[in-house]
Amino acid sequence: MRAYIIRRLMLLIPILLGISLMIFLIMQFIPGDVISGMLGIEETPELRAQLEKKLGLDQPLYKQYINWISKAVRGDFGTSFRTGKDIFPEIMSRFKITFQLTIMAAIISWIIAIPLGILSAMKRNSIIDGFVRFISLLGVSVPSFALATLAILLLSKGFNYYPSVGYVDITVDPIRNLEIMFLPAIILGSSMAGSVMRMTRSSLLETLRQDFIKTIRAKGASEKVVLFVHSLKNALIPIITLIGMQIGSLLGGAVVIEQIFSIPGLGLMTLTGINQRDFPVVQGCVLFIAFVYVIVNLTVDILYTYIDPRITYKAGR
Amino acid sequence: MRKKLLLVISTILILSLIFSACAKEPTENADNLGAEQHEEKPKVEQVLKYGTDAEPSGLDPHTISATAAIRIFGQIYNALIDVDDDMNFIPELAESWEQPNDVTYIFKLRKGVKFHNGREMVADDVKYSFERVLDPATAAIGQSYYNMIESIEVLGDYEVKFTLKEPFAPFLTNLTSLYGAIVPKEVVEENGNLMQVACGTGPFKLKEWIPDNRIVLVKNEDYFEEGKPTLDAIEYYVMTDEASRIAALRTGNVHLVKLPAASKPLVEGNEDIVIKSYQSNDYTYLGFNLTLDKFKDPRVRQAISYAINRQEIIDMTYDGEAEVSGFVPSAMGRWAIDYASEDLYKQNIEKAKQLMAEAGYPNGFETTIAVGLLDDIRSTGEIIQKQLEAIGIKAEIQNLETGQYIDAWSNKKHEMMAGRNGAGSDPNRAVAFFFSTEGSANVWGYSNPDVDKLCDLGKKTVDEDEREKIYKEAQKLILNDCPNLFIASPMEYYFVRKEVKNFNPWTFNAEDFKEIIIE
Repeated sequence: MRAYIIRRLMLLIPILLGISLMIFLIMQFIPGDVISGMLGIEETPELRAQLEKKLGLDQPLYKQYINWISKAVRGDFGTSFRTGKDIFPEIMSRFKITFQLTIMAAIISWIIAIPLGILSAMKRNSIIDGFVRFISLLGVSVPSFALATLAILLLSKGFNYYPSVGYVDITVDPIRNLEIMFLPAIILGSSMAGSVMRMTRSSLLETLRQDFIKTIRAKGASEKVVLFVHSLKNALIPIITLIGMQIGSLLGGAVVIEQIFSIPGLGLMTLTGINQRDFPVVQGCVLFIAFVYVIVNLTVDILYTYIDPRITYKAGR
Repeated sequence: MRKKLLLVISTILILSLIFSACAKEPTENADNLGAEQHEEKPKVEQVLKYGTDAEPSGLDPHTISATAAIRIFGQIYNALIDVDDDMNFIPELAESWEQPNDVTYIFKLRKGVKFHNGREMVADDVKYSFERVLDPATAAIGQSYYNMIESIEVLGDYEVKFTLKEPFAPFLTNLTSLYGAIVPKEVVEENGNLMQVACGTGPFKLKEWIPDNRIVLVKNEDYFEEGKPTLDAIEYYVMTDEASRIAALRTGNVHLVKLPAASKPLVEGNEDIVIKSYQSNDYTYLGFNLTLDKFKDPRVRQAISYAINRQEIIDMTYDGEAEVSGFVPSAMGRWAIDYASEDLYKQNIEKAKQLMAEAGYPNGFETTIAVGLLDDIRSTGEIIQKQLEAIGIKAEIQNLETGQYIDAWSNKKHEMMAGRNGAGSDPNRAVAFFFSTEGSANVWGYSNPDVDKLCDLGKKTVDEDEREKIYKEAQKLILNDCPNLFIASPMEYYFVRKEVKNFNPWTFNAEDFKEIIIE
């Protein structure tokens, strides 16, 4: 197991290197550069030259990349072209916020999705099942930004409510923090819930059809025992895979939701970086997001072995 | 059964949480209403909450030119002088000034003005600030505003002399810009720059900055204007989503947002929100890439000018609330000519067709119109596209993201391009900066030696009446050459909660918050 984890972590190095090179090249190829964005209409050739020198953009591309990567491997992601701020501490403080939002959204989605998914599988083809399937289809098909805009419009017009505007950290004022995060978390959570609900239902149904369940039923076990003791645990693997993927991508920042609710998370930081062609910021953020994604996937893989003891990871396999 | 019960309970819990949160705000409002009816008004927090659309990348007045930043550092820093509503120069950090000859300006500074760190502002700071701007290592945006300065001499603690290399008429106008803000040397040296810190002499000082969320400014108790500012604080909330800004304004979470005209119907009938507008000194235009053969012949450009109907664009884009304008908009007062009466501004399809035929395009041609993300510019582009069909020009709209748009603009990667420019407050900016051959915003490839001569003359002529004649002549020449078609000068709109009093935006200082009271 340990050897497996180490091997997976080693694999991170080529992945991250590849990603960083790709992002660097993409940022060079997209039209517009950081200096045009900074100077806009005030751009003069002299000013451009001064800024290129100041930002180190006067050096050849490969040198710029090597400079950046040699610092990045030592944990120094450099400073933002636009703000002049150190990137790594900024990513960490943004990630904390995104992490909280993700966890809240995930918990909300589980609270909605798993009980409803189970209910739907148990009452297959009933009215309840139909209703749950309709709701989950809605959850899958309505994009979260539409839901968010709708929620904002409804709450502000109908109830004269809009969440507090100034973000505060959960350690400073937990109640206000939760008030700010609650609505976006519900919206993200309900978007996630749709697919989790569907997955719970189908995975459970499939397990219920298997021979070992028939055997258990034949032995006279009650439906409750069949469902909670024997089926659910077996049905969990695909659900956890799905949840893992959802959490992994949410941890990269729920860009649109963060933007709509002005939550200063990682997604917003990345987006601002892209819009401003601030490539150290984009590179730092993307690398970090990729790292988190790989770690979440690894965690999910390890979780499998706890849920299903038949799964083992042998070194060298 | 128990499961069902659990489900019902959890649903109720979630719903009740939502509604309890929803209910909170109206009760607070109801309390306020109740309180207002009492004879004694409770003391209202004097904090202005501004929902702003973008976050500044930094607050260094010398190196940042984005509106999102100027909006904030405009409250923090001061320039030497300012302009009033009628474009007259008025004292700011300089109490008075004299001009012994064409190239010398002597400023007497206000005494007792303190930086936010408590130190008094003196003549050395003025010298330092302009030297910082002119130092290539700073890469200051406003270098071209001040590079005619030959020397700056400190004559005493409160007296400073600027000597110019040659007479430069817009010098005082340029001094009103915050590109020449007075900053304290020790703060720059301690922090390397002024991007994330701020220390000025203005009415508000920086207290807190949470990236992508908010910037809080608090009252400068030592501000040099007696009794100002009246506010205790300004809180800027970064809300990039327009729907969110409107919702937050509606519920009173913010007091003030700046929105395009198109948003007006969204708050119609809402008695808590007042719309304050002013005439901007911006103008919209359709620019031509003059390096392309089809646009080289001025007759083609003139034909396009005759083909479009500016009033129709204004009616459809701005609901009628904009002026037909040239590149010196009427907000610039005496410097502007009357564009609306110009023949080129009157739609005349016959004449347009005739000019196209003379230029060798009797059946028109195919081209593109690049537009950016601004709604009004997109709409302008689309209407022009439609109007040009009458003379056989088939234009395709290219929607560009901001970075692409700037790239197309500065590197001539476009055929036609719709856009919006700020004309500034001096004709040297409005005319020479955009349309002289060497003008740094002349990205069109336009060159007319007569215009260049006039621009040069206008820069050196200090007599205002003489200057007015020069720039009016230049305007006529440029208008006739049609390097751009100038279309409209729109209004700007602030959507403000009714409890905000004494806020009166105007063209050259839209965000003067010094006397605002929250009731």
